[in-house]
Amino acid sequence: MQRAYLSKLLELAENNADVLHLVADSGTGFDEMFKHSFPGQMINFGIAEEHMVAASAGLATAGKIPFVYTAGAFLAYRSLEFIRNDICFQNLNVKIVGMGSGLAWCSLGPTHHTTEDIAVLRAIPNLMILSPATPVQVSQCVELAYRHTGPVYIRIGMNNEKEFFAGSHDLPASGQNVLRGGGNIVILSTGNILENVLSAADELEKDNLLASVINIVRIKPFDETALFQEIMSADYVVTVEEHNICGGLGSIAAEALASSGMGKKLIRIGLNDIFAEGYGNSQEIVRAQNGLDAAAIAETIRRRLRE
Amino acid sequence: MSYDENVCKNLRKKIYLTAERGGLGHLASCYSCLEILYVLYKKNILNCTRENMGSKKRNRLILSKGHAGLALYWVMNEAGLLSGEEIGTFLQPGSHVGGEPCMRDLPGIEATTGSLGHGLPMGVGMAMAQKMDGLDARTYVIIGDGECEEGSIWEAAMSAPAFDLDNLTAILDCNEIQKMTTVEGTIRHTNWREKWESFGWLVKEVDGHDIAALEEILLAKNETGKPLLLIAHTVKGKGVSIMENNPLWHFKLPNRKERKVFCAELDIGEEELQNAESIFK
Repeated sequence: MQRAYLSKLLELAENNADVLHLVADSGTGFDEMFKHSFPGQMINFGIAEEHMVAASAGLATAGKIPFVYTAGAFLAYRSLEFIRNDICFQNLNVKIVGMGSGLAWCSLGPTHHTTEDIAVLRAIPNLMILSPATPVQVSQCVELAYRHTGPVYIRIGMNNEKEFFAGSHDLPASGQNVLRGGGNIVILSTGNILENVLSAADELEKDNLLASVINIVRIKPFDETALFQEIMSADYVVTVEEHNICGGLGSIAAEALASSGMGKKLIRIGLNDIFAEGYGNSQEIVRAQNGLDAAAIAETIRRRLRE
Repeated sequence: MSYDENVCKNLRKKIYLTAERGGLGHLASCYSCLEILYVLYKKNILNCTRENMGSKKRNRLILSKGHAGLALYWVMNEAGLLSGEEIGTFLQPGSHVGGEPCMRDLPGIEATTGSLGHGLPMGVGMAMAQKMDGLDARTYVIIGDGECEEGSIWEAAMSAPAFDLDNLTAILDCNEIQKMTTVEGTIRHTNWREKWESFGWLVKEVDGHDIAALEEILLAKNETGKPLLLIAHTVKGKGVSIMENNPLWHFKLPNRKERKVFCAELDIGEEELQNAESIFK
């Protein structure tokens, strides 16, 4: 996803000199490539995220289009007030890109986990929130953010995620992709945990439990109408997120369903209002310790259906 | 009393009457940085006009210590940038004029402030954009000495010299007082010159109420390649004796007895007090 992000940003920067790549000592080899091609369009603020966020607002007042890029945790939490006051309240054209979201910083633990970012950021007016599932979707989200005048937060992972979308695939206007349809259970997924959700749906099918899967990319504004159409004939709605179930996709679905009067049963899967347990040298190992591997997701759904 | 001093005295009067009418106001902070704002807007430093408000080439000012908003509004009025009628709506229902300057609500406000420690880092972004666009334009940021307790000030202070932002001027409204007590009583070490110089800034000092001295120092060319920190030594509450240098006045209006002192020292007659509305015309 990082590679997809930077490739897309390079393309935008080439076509528009106002597109800026802002980092807080958070660059990698790919960023060096950017620096080499467009040295005047990349700014390293050093380990000073609040400053980078506030300065991006200053740059945007002068017509620049800053893409602010570092670990999601240091943006959503450390820089929250600067995002709120300087970017969102002033409604400035800044794109905030948090990488390593969810449990991607598997070896470093909860200081680096980004598992409450949706909850805190979706409470802020004017901010569009995008949560792509694959590298192709990252590229589409960056394009969408660029075309949208106003603040956008994009939540991305690391690298080597499985791709489920063709390069030419367009993101529907609803910001939601239906990957499997016709189920009595509808699973809503957001971010790169989609791979596990699709595998869980396959497992459930072996038990004759047919589950649809909808990938929610646009978290805010959230298209309730599109969702209601997809879940109309289902009995169960399940949300799966690499995020606290408190305030994230589970809460969004709960709010939508409660006000719809549709009477669907909701099962929320994610971190149950805890900081994630354990460490590992891969994201999948930490997911598994927190009930977010494919088998555990399928098992939780089976168990909850029996209740 | 010089012409400029007389204008500033009149501005203090207007600030007080507006705060009284609104029912709230940070008078002492307004009076501390009034001359600084006056010189920036009225002495060919910002050169802001209604016509160049949206121009990329304009100079910019951020009042990072936003609670002195009333001083900014009245100086902008003096410079022909904001109408008295608009200021007259201060804190009234439906008003666009609040205690802290808001970019969303008022044209000519360069940044929304109120939470301390935001103005300087935003100013770094603005000065950077002016450089990128090859403009001969400057960014000025007024910060408080109490505000320098915020960490984000130092993130910005560290980076401005590294980005060679010699078009950035931070003016430290150094009144030595914050809400509860003195700045020294809070953080002990207030050796601002040493601190900012060690971060790579050009540091100058001035009497922050001396209009001619402020004008001279702000008009002087900076050829050092460094951003400038101007330490303006000021008196919090300047102009009303009972308010001067007293932390109790951070966010307070006078009671009946104190009001007499305000009126006497600001030359507000009984008739003027009754017809306070006329200042908004």
